[in-house]
Amino acid sequence: MKVLFALALVATPALSQDFSVGSQAESWNLYAESPALFEAKVVDPLCDLTGDCPADCGAGNRQLALLRAVDQVLVYALKNGQPVFTGSANDLLPYCGKVVEVDGLVLIDPDIGLKNVFLIQKIREKGAADWVKANRWTKDWKAANPTLTGKDPWFRQDPRVKAEIAKNGYFGLGLEIDAAAIKALFQ
Amino acid sequence: MPRPALRWIAAAAVLFASPALAAEGERITVKGELIDTWCYYSGVMGSPESTLGSAHHTCALWCSAGGVPVGLLAEDGQVYMVLKIEGSDDVNGGDTLLTLASDTITADGLVYRRDGLNYIVVEKVVSNEGITKLTHEEYGAVPDFSVPEPKK
Repeated sequence: MKVLFALALVATPALSQDFSVGSQAESWNLYAESPALFEAKVVDPLCDLTGDCPADCGAGNRQLALLRAVDQVLVYALKNGQPVFTGSANDLLPYCGKVVEVDGLVLIDPDIGLKNVFLIQKIREKGAADWVKANRWTKDWKAANPTLTGKDPWFRQDPRVKAEIAKNGYFGLGLEIDAAAIKALFQ
Repeated sequence: MPRPALRWIAAAAVLFASPALAAEGERITVKGELIDTWCYYSGVMGSPESTLGSAHHTCALWCSAGGVPVGLLAEDGQVYMVLKIEGSDDVNGGDTLLTLASDTITADGLVYRRDGLNYIVVEKVVSNEGITKLTHEEYGAVPDFSVPEPKK
């Protein structure tokens, strides 16, 4: 019995952890959100899971994740802090392999078994004084598309998105079906 | 406490507390839709069903191009986070997943399960049925501004 008790103590350190303590994350009014502030190592999940490990976390190609320090749980980063359809890999890449603090929203929904996915709002390397907002994606997009200076948001201007819509329509079903669907939508 | 017991506790603790070690993948063939995981999980667009298929296609393009992780939603409701597809690890806004947004595919690959989430390395897209859920018939465009009103 003592052995089992000792194992439980060692193996489940995070069961009672309240990651909202100290968090200053802003609510997005999502039904499954909880504020969360925690320390983690920025990792390449493809490396962590399969052993395929380039030195630079994939140089921006790969999705990145957070290996939470307190319990070694792999938290998958789905979203950065920008409300414009942007992920978080670009925000995490400068910290590849480093220990950071992150503040944001974790999504938890027991009804659908959802846990350990994260929206990052702020990040800083462990020991750093200043937080960095997780809003890098649009800056990177502008740098990669210097001639696209229109007022529309990036997703209206992006050449690859526009090419897909031009090919298959907004609903992705082909241009003929698309035209009929749009006509019906706005009638 | 006897020394053998301490060793046993230490070994077991390592096994339980360190799931970070690379694991063997499980070979799987799975059919499902390539989805925008943020909109599906977060509820930001409404019900999960409204973030599938044709209604959400343009938003799925935006999120895929924007580097939101793409998932494969299987017919049994399981979601597999795509980490690599057909030899390409360019899953942070890459072209392969962008061109497959909202499509229902059959994928052959390796699955890794970790901390309540499924991750998949898609080795081969066996077949692609295109968009099979005509959700625009029920939901229109999700979000509604994803399809602009034609200029008159």
